[in-house]
Amino acid sequence: MSEHSDSGNGDNRFSEARRRFLRGLGMSAAAVAQPAWGGKTFGDAFADFFQKHYKRMSAEEIEETLERIKRKAEARYGVEIDCENTPPQENVVFGYAINISRCKGYRDCVQGCVEENNLGRDSQVQYIRVLQMDQGDSNLEHADHYYDPETVPVEGKYYLPVQCMQCDDPPCVKACPVDATWMEPDGIVVIDYDWCIGCRYCMTACPYWARHFNWTEPEIPAAEMNPDTHYLGNRPRPRGVVEKCHFCIQRTRKGQQPACLEACPTGARIFGNLLDPDSEIRYVLANKTVFRLKEDLGTEPKFWYFSD
Amino acid sequence: MSPDNKKRPGQRPQFSFGVLGSARLRLAAAFLLGVAGGAAVVFAAEDSVGSLPGIRFEGYPNSPPVSVVSRKADLFFYPCDQCHAAMEPNPDIRELNVMHVAELQHGRGRIWCLSCHDLENRNYLRTLLDEPVDFDQAHLVCGGCHSNRHKDWVFGAHGKRVANWQGERKLYDCAHCHDPHSPSIQPRAPKPPPPVRVGLELVRGASHERDSGVDRKEAED
Repeated sequence: MSEHSDSGNGDNRFSEARRRFLRGLGMSAAAVAQPAWGGKTFGDAFADFFQKHYKRMSAEEIEETLERIKRKAEARYGVEIDCENTPPQENVVFGYAINISRCKGYRDCVQGCVEENNLGRDSQVQYIRVLQMDQGDSNLEHADHYYDPETVPVEGKYYLPVQCMQCDDPPCVKACPVDATWMEPDGIVVIDYDWCIGCRYCMTACPYWARHFNWTEPEIPAAEMNPDTHYLGNRPRPRGVVEKCHFCIQRTRKGQQPACLEACPTGARIFGNLLDPDSEIRYVLANKTVFRLKEDLGTEPKFWYFSD
Repeated sequence: MSPDNKKRPGQRPQFSFGVLGSARLRLAAAFLLGVAGGAAVVFAAEDSVGSLPGIRFEGYPNSPPVSVVSRKADLFFYPCDQCHAAMEPNPDIRELNVMHVAELQHGRGRIWCLSCHDLENRNYLRTLLDEPVDFDQAHLVCGGCHSNRHKDWVFGAHGKRVANWQGERKLYDCAHCHDPHSPSIQPRAPKPPPPVRVGLELVRGASHERDSGVDRKEAED
């Protein structure tokens, strides 16, 4: 057995001793070191530094990390949040479909996403981009996502919302040099924001412009903070990491719809379990003429488009 | 109004929509009982599950069990009997200028009020086969003409499901989104566009072909 076996079972003496040491250090330092360390206690800053990769943390270590995340969020935003680690459900792989003949370009999904996922209000990070395209044209280079007419839909245009396709063979995961991003058993490609080194290789690897770099500290008014968060999802992120759509992991793992779907007023968005033959998404795949973006790249997106 | 002298739609033969013999859905029951407010509650209290008025939707082959969100509380004039109980039914096609929509923007003149509203059972809609339909089952009326959409809606490819992707399938009814008297949805303002990246300017209608060599050459000439 190797001494590197800190593989998340939490029963080896080394990590137990270290945890005790860190906890003691944190408690003794908490009183004196309050204002320093960016609003964190010294103990939290210290534990942050030694925080392990998500997949290597024991259940107990994850609990401690979640508590730390809550404390940090309260210090940073003045809001009491709940941070969970809801596991994937058995026999569930998520898929998404968009009916582009229903989408009218209102961008309600974008707003729903920003509010749900605690995206910085001024930052340039938005997980969803609604492309305005000329009817009869599918060349993505001619798309405009900055469209701002008085009313939509504009005559002669159609709208194509693009977000993370949750590829089954994700090129971003292959590109990551530190394994900070991976595909979960329910098919969602997630990021450990605390493990990400911000190199942005994954952004260049992604053919869908789905990954976004957090250039600034996300600014969220306390009243608009969504307190229901998930470690791999919408918890407050630090500056300088890559973010992306995670199919609202904090909602969908509990059976709820993603926020973009709930916000969509036209019913263009269809979400469900690809492994359930009775699900809406399976009906769409079986009965509609669906296509995927840049299918020829072989990334196997779990995100389809159709029109009817 | 007294329920005794009212003609009860439940006495009519019931109509099965979709597969004969399939008894997957008993939709009307839950929603009649769920209605809040005024006379509708009186109505609901009298109807046991077994003797519900109105036809029932029994699903398509292999369709999942679905339920529909009630809209009755949102209907301003409902129950219609409040006024119509005291009025003589008049089946003549005419323009209605009092209380109701004057101009029907649906069907391009091929239909009018009584194509969908029941003349005798005022609190009900009707199908093209003249079966009464509860207001919370309005999709049965819509589905009479828009059958493809109706099927898509039941299976989940059209319309919206409430809250969950898992578990109970509760759907918004057709009329939640489409005004039955004017079904086309008007254009409206979009939410603001994403911010342009710091250091970059938004160039409208940029084209790689035009903005590269070709344009420069023309400028040189």
